[in-house]
Amino acid sequence: MSPLGLTFVGVAFDDSAAAAREWIDASDPRPTFPMLLDREHLLGELYGIYNVPTVIWIDEDDRIARSPLIAPGDDMFRDFTNVDSSVHHDQLRAWVATGALPPATEKVQVMLPTDDEQLARLERRVGAFLAREGNSDAAEPHFARAAELAPMDWTIRRGTMPLRGDDPFGEKFFAFMEEWTAAGLPGYGSADPDAPS
Amino acid sequence: MNVLTFLDAEHGPRPIVGTTSDDRMLLDPSSVAELTGWVLKPEGLCHGDVCVPVRDPQLTVDGAIDAAHFAGALGRPVVVDAAAGVVAIGERSAERRGPIEAGVASDFTLPQVAGGTFTFSSLGRRKKLLLAWSSW
Repeated sequence: MSPLGLTFVGVAFDDSAAAAREWIDASDPRPTFPMLLDREHLLGELYGIYNVPTVIWIDEDDRIARSPLIAPGDDMFRDFTNVDSSVHHDQLRAWVATGALPPATEKVQVMLPTDDEQLARLERRVGAFLAREGNSDAAEPHFARAAELAPMDWTIRRGTMPLRGDDPFGEKFFAFMEEWTAAGLPGYGSADPDAPS
Repeated sequence: MNVLTFLDAEHGPRPIVGTTSDDRMLLDPSSVAELTGWVLKPEGLCHGDVCVPVRDPQLTVDGAIDAAHFAGALGRPVVVDAAAGVVAIGERSAERRGPIEAGVASDFTLPQVAGGTFTFSSLGRRKKLLLAWSSW
């Protein structure tokens, strides 16, 4: 996409450069654009990101052209979320070429930060710091509190799993998925107008 | 006074001078000023030309600033773990909501996985795609 004047910036909501690097090294082709590490989930706060992978379109005037939406980079993700990445890619090409934005869709549920969400982020941040320092016992009450305050935030519910010794692809994750689905998929925004809502 | 940890979204963990007493974290005022830009004056808590009057008698203890009451005076969310020596202060939800609702893309500086740091605004005027991802 770069030749068309679109610049990518990748931001990993990971706890270490090593964790991010493992995935970057395994990517084919390797990303040639800036790849950043956001251990404190600063961008989660600045852009209202509650799940990954999420893309945000930003125009030349530094305006958010399009709210955060789940946009898989390849079709492996489609099987899991039933979203077709080619729809997003076509929309991107149109935006780069003409500046045109796709019609707004009611299926995008925009989540805006609340006081509880902000506190949850702090609790996660403290827990993650303590866990990274090897103090899991001190970290755990903070992770639990974060989950209570922001139960529908994937960056908290799933994002803390590696540091809590839980498998992000295991039982606890699927239990959370059921909970999130039952709540009506809050925060789920897809580029595909035919994606499930 | 000991070296404790001050956590915020923009900077991550940084050392701060203070002590803990039961559940309270009491911070050295010059350390607070250095890390946050907030200075305690007779007028109240001041950041540059802006001063917030403080009527909370529990804000200071023997000249040290109580972390939780400091955040409270500024209306900011706070988490204090005195036993672990960590305090995290955040932005009010309204502060974060503002730019998002107005459609303004905030600038930021973050470490690069490959080393060094990167400032988003260094990209200049162009269309950008921010891709948030993770190994989980």
